[in-house]
Amino acid sequence: MQDKGLTTQSSDTTALRFDRVSKVFPDGTHAVDDVSFEVAHGEFVTIVGPSGCGKSTLARIAGGLDTPTEGECRVDRSSIGYVFQDATLLPWRTLQRNVELIAELKGLDRAERHRRASAAIATVGLDGHQAKYPRQLSGGMKMRASVARSLVLEPELFLFDEPFGALDEITRERLDDELLALFAERHFAALFITHSIAEAVYMSTRVIVMSARPGRITGDFPVPFSYPRDPDLRFDPAFASLCGEVSHCLRASHS
Amino acid sequence: MTDDLEPPQPRSTPRFEWSSVIGPAIVGLLFIGAWYLLAYNLDNNFTPSGKPVIVPPPHRLFEDTQLRDCPGGLDFMLHGTLPKGSPVPPGCVVTSKIVQATITTVKTAVVGLLLAIFAGMALAVMMSFAKWLERALWPYLIALQAIPIVAITPLVIRTIGANFSARVLTTVIISIFPIVKNTLFGLQSADQNQHDLFTLGRSGRLTRLLKLQLPNALPAVFAGFQISAGLAVIGAVVADFFFSRGTTGLGRVIVDFFLNNQGGPMMICAIITSVLGISIFVSFGMLSRLAVGKWYVVSTHSI
Repeated sequence: MQDKGLTTQSSDTTALRFDRVSKVFPDGTHAVDDVSFEVAHGEFVTIVGPSGCGKSTLARIAGGLDTPTEGECRVDRSSIGYVFQDATLLPWRTLQRNVELIAELKGLDRAERHRRASAAIATVGLDGHQAKYPRQLSGGMKMRASVARSLVLEPELFLFDEPFGALDEITRERLDDELLALFAERHFAALFITHSIAEAVYMSTRVIVMSARPGRITGDFPVPFSYPRDPDLRFDPAFASLCGEVSHCLRASHS
Repeated sequence: MTDDLEPPQPRSTPRFEWSSVIGPAIVGLLFIGAWYLLAYNLDNNFTPSGKPVIVPPPHRLFEDTQLRDCPGGLDFMLHGTLPKGSPVPPGCVVTSKIVQATITTVKTAVVGLLLAIFAGMALAVMMSFAKWLERALWPYLIALQAIPIVAITPLVIRTIGANFSARVLTTVIISIFPIVKNTLFGLQSADQNQHDLFTLGRSGRLTRLLKLQLPNALPAVFAGFQISAGLAVIGAVVADFFFSRGTTGLGRVIVDFFLNNQGGPMMICAIITSVLGISIFVSFGMLSRLAVGKWYVVSTHSI
């Protein structure tokens, strides 16, 4: 029997739908409370909230790594690109074989996954490092490898769980830009989790604000700026003003 | 090229340091000095004719053994087969005894260790699959490794006879625990994110075991092999104290030499035992480097 939380169904425009989703962990932690929203194809939705507000739990539920206690999450899980906070590379595999991993687990044949992985590695700018082991890569390179791995299945939906949070700011902004370039080119649907307001506004078509635990949606802001986005957008008054609104909403939901 | 694409500089290979040679050399000299002190100050260590009884001084270690001019050559050394009628110098008999005993002990230790590796890893894999099995077996594994080998060997001999299998079984019993323990630890130490990755790939238990848990366990598994290797040699030698028939191993000939007041051969056997333990330990260390050295940084202290 399919668990009610694992229902798989894709409609025409919706890539991901949360329908009154709540999550209480066995230890009693009430992580998410009555969350409903949709991510349409071509939409880049970012959830921003304080640490421990259950935003990562939403990504995990969407990816099928956790099941909701109540409500349901509708998503086509046949090909999801999932990028964790840590690069989560297998240290005994070379970069090439790490990028191939998910395709290998899903049973793609050797030649096909090699071709796709090589293309993905080139896309993230790691050409020439295929034979290296993770310990020979810098933090930024590992995250690039992790993004490449999620690209291999050519998914329609990406889940980014605070993907570049552990990197320094310069590297993070660079990787954000490259991710946006990919988004502009491929128009996938994305659910991006972060605790940085500026990153949220800069990346997304829409910013959803969550309150502290139990996580509820307290704000939903469309972002009007067009793609491709210029790094200087960060210094635009309209950008600053939107960041201010999001920040205000965050603080209001905190108190 | 952007800077985050710069791979980290590989750590430079450690420079040669004199202290890593001088330290051990000094300790070695102190040891030999203490050996001389002991040899010349131990009561009744020499017979009236001046022959050492228990501890021969280092330069007289090989007095009771003889390798050259032995009749029968290699055949005599390895099997003790004597050419008819020819007189055999006593030193040759001693050497032949030691060589044969060493072969028996090496065979016992190696076969026992290999069996312990297979059985131990299989047990750990089963325990990682079934928590109830782990709970059921764990207390008894701990009990097993807490029993001194001298207490269990007589039981083994009474049960299956004083044969090669009994020697091997005692070796397995003494050396299996670190393998089970380390393998299980390694299998269970794959982190949650890595498991999530395999969940995303919709992998079953077997794929997880083969592609995640086993590779992840390898460094710990090899560390277990190294501990067990030393135990296997000790097990093979100590268990041997109880065997008096057939081709005996080093443990038995040590007892024999002791009863005959042949201190030199006794110490030679002790040294051989130590060298055996070290060789197995070092070979597994090298095997470990070969297997996981590319991705796992083996600490320089574990050889």
